[in-house]
Amino acid sequence: MSALRHASERLRRGGDLVPVLTFLLMAACFYAVPSLEGKDVEWSSGYAAMQTVAAYGPLALGIGLGMVAGVFDLSVLGMFALGGMLAVKTGGDSPALGVLVAAVAGLLAGCAQGTLVSRLKLNSMSVSLGGYLIMLGLSRAIGADQSVPYANVNVGIDLDKPILEVFSWHSLIVLACFALLGLLLRYTRIGRDIRAVGGDERASRVAGVRVGVVTAGVFAASGALAGVAGALNSYSLASAIPDPGFAPLVFAATAALIGGVAFSGGRGSALGIALGALSLALLQAMFGILASPEWVSQAVTGALLVVAAVAAAPRIADHVASLRARWAREPGSLVSNERSEHAVGS
Amino acid sequence: MSAAAIRRRPDVALAALAAVVLVIGAVGTDGFLTSANFRAILASVGILGIVAVGMTMITISGNLFSLSLGVTVTVASMTFLAWLDLGVVPAIVLSVALGAAVCGLQGLIVAVLGANPIVVTIGFGALQLAAAAKFAGGEAVYPDGGGFGWLASTAGGIPVSVFVLLGLVVALDAWLRLSRAGRELYLAGENRLAARAAALRVSASTVVAFALAGACAGVAGVLLGAANKNAALVGGGDQYTFNAIAVVLVGGVAVTGGHGVTARTVLGALFIAAISDMLLLRGYSSGIQTLVAGVFVLLAIVVMQLRKLSAR
Repeated sequence: MSALRHASERLRRGGDLVPVLTFLLMAACFYAVPSLEGKDVEWSSGYAAMQTVAAYGPLALGIGLGMVAGVFDLSVLGMFALGGMLAVKTGGDSPALGVLVAAVAGLLAGCAQGTLVSRLKLNSMSVSLGGYLIMLGLSRAIGADQSVPYANVNVGIDLDKPILEVFSWHSLIVLACFALLGLLLRYTRIGRDIRAVGGDERASRVAGVRVGVVTAGVFAASGALAGVAGALNSYSLASAIPDPGFAPLVFAATAALIGGVAFSGGRGSALGIALGALSLALLQAMFGILASPEWVSQAVTGALLVVAAVAAAPRIADHVASLRARWAREPGSLVSNERSEHAVGS
Repeated sequence: MSAAAIRRRPDVALAALAAVVLVIGAVGTDGFLTSANFRAILASVGILGIVAVGMTMITISGNLFSLSLGVTVTVASMTFLAWLDLGVVPAIVLSVALGAAVCGLQGLIVAVLGANPIVVTIGFGALQLAAAAKFAGGEAVYPDGGGFGWLASTAGGIPVSVFVLLGLVVALDAWLRLSRAGRELYLAGENRLAARAAALRVSASTVVAFALAGACAGVAGVLLGAANKNAALVGGGDQYTFNAIAVVLVGGVAVTGGHGVTARTVLGALFIAAISDMLLLRGYSSGIQTLVAGVFVLLAIVVMQLRKLSAR
């Protein structure tokens, strides 16, 4: 019992309670709602959800990691496209080489952007918008605005072959990335530094954290993750798409936010982001079972994002606190508050 | 120009660099210095410029950007064509009002609840796409009536959208400079806490800025629908969103809020359009044009920041 209490306490302190509850709710919906409609939930739907996590999870991890450090890296969307293009072009004989090229390209692009942001104290979103346009332009120029087929079709088939019903090598690789970064964030000084920079940049600089290195490192990591995600995704599809559109970014940002990452920085964990991505993927898979039109899933995702933004809004807490204070001062009457405030003022 | 001079006035250096690039490009590119080509550049500035001017309002108000203004453009182009059976003017008014209302609502959530503008606008992007997909049933929308040809016509070889852009810039610039609400918008963007302490209407400023951006997106959507004579959700207008942000940044609007001139945004749009046109005439793909736009975005924000740091 005390172990349970200890675990729940740790969850609450780590900020993981909301993502865990959201995940449990989504899992319950995923299982229960289709049965209410008389449809069976099969393993294949769980597999579909895991494949969604495999495709977009690394982007959520990259964006989430950036948000923990107090930056927003829009360029993951461009690196996702460019990584796929590079992998298809260079990985014809050796798929591993393609993934490596994509990862290194992402690493370098991220490092350059992160250095710009920290050296010149630039807004991370403007810099990464420039980065996004450059990478998207490169991807579209390399592919001449056409999807580029990947001749080595077997790679994708092997990558996506179901393992233990719901997993695949694709999703296992992505989960391994989550585990690795999760351990790094939780148990190493690097993780503490990242949270410190996101929480209060000036204070952490004074405390001796090398803010520039942390920012560049976070951008490099999210770039590499996006490159790998793009490479694996293009192997799965057996082709690279020059411009994947806005949907991957929506998924990634929503997953990170319902995963308990604070937009203001300093808070969030890899486990939370993984649960956020899984929750969203289960939701989409559920709409897949129900054979709902695409707009339903889109509307629910959009609504979730707005709700997450509102729930994380700093002024909500203020409003609640001031309501409580009014209630405490004059129980039963919220309206006559103006008078009591004057009384305090005089 | 010496290094010290560049450091003192990097914005002048940037403008000089832009001028040099334009002149060299213009002289060295066959077919650039023709009136037909200038008209083509102007035509490509019109609609994007209108969206970018709307985006400028949000940036000045200190709320960074909207990441779904392009979606609002697409949705407005669909509603305009679908509502043409009510008549051209009602279709225009309703589409612009819808854009203003949808974006104003986002501004309300951002202002009153203190929610993050980026997240809220991404979320509303998905919601608008969903609503439009339900409304159109996944099909392209075709005009449900005629009489809107004048919106896509040209006067003296210059498209109507360019005149609309000019009118909007003059009106918004006057509003920003001369009206109390316009001044408040700058102050709220510059220093929100100070503005609040001075009892300025900070929340109202944000709502107005978002609503104006939505109205601009609505106007752009109407012109887009009239020009294309059909509207579909393909792509969801993301390119308008990102290009508008790029134009705002190249135009030198400070991301931190409180500074920026709509006319400079239009100059940014003209510059990007001229460069894209040059690249096109030299046979480069649209991918390369996007890449070059990205390079200029980075250049512009670095230069603006250097100026700010050196001013201290």
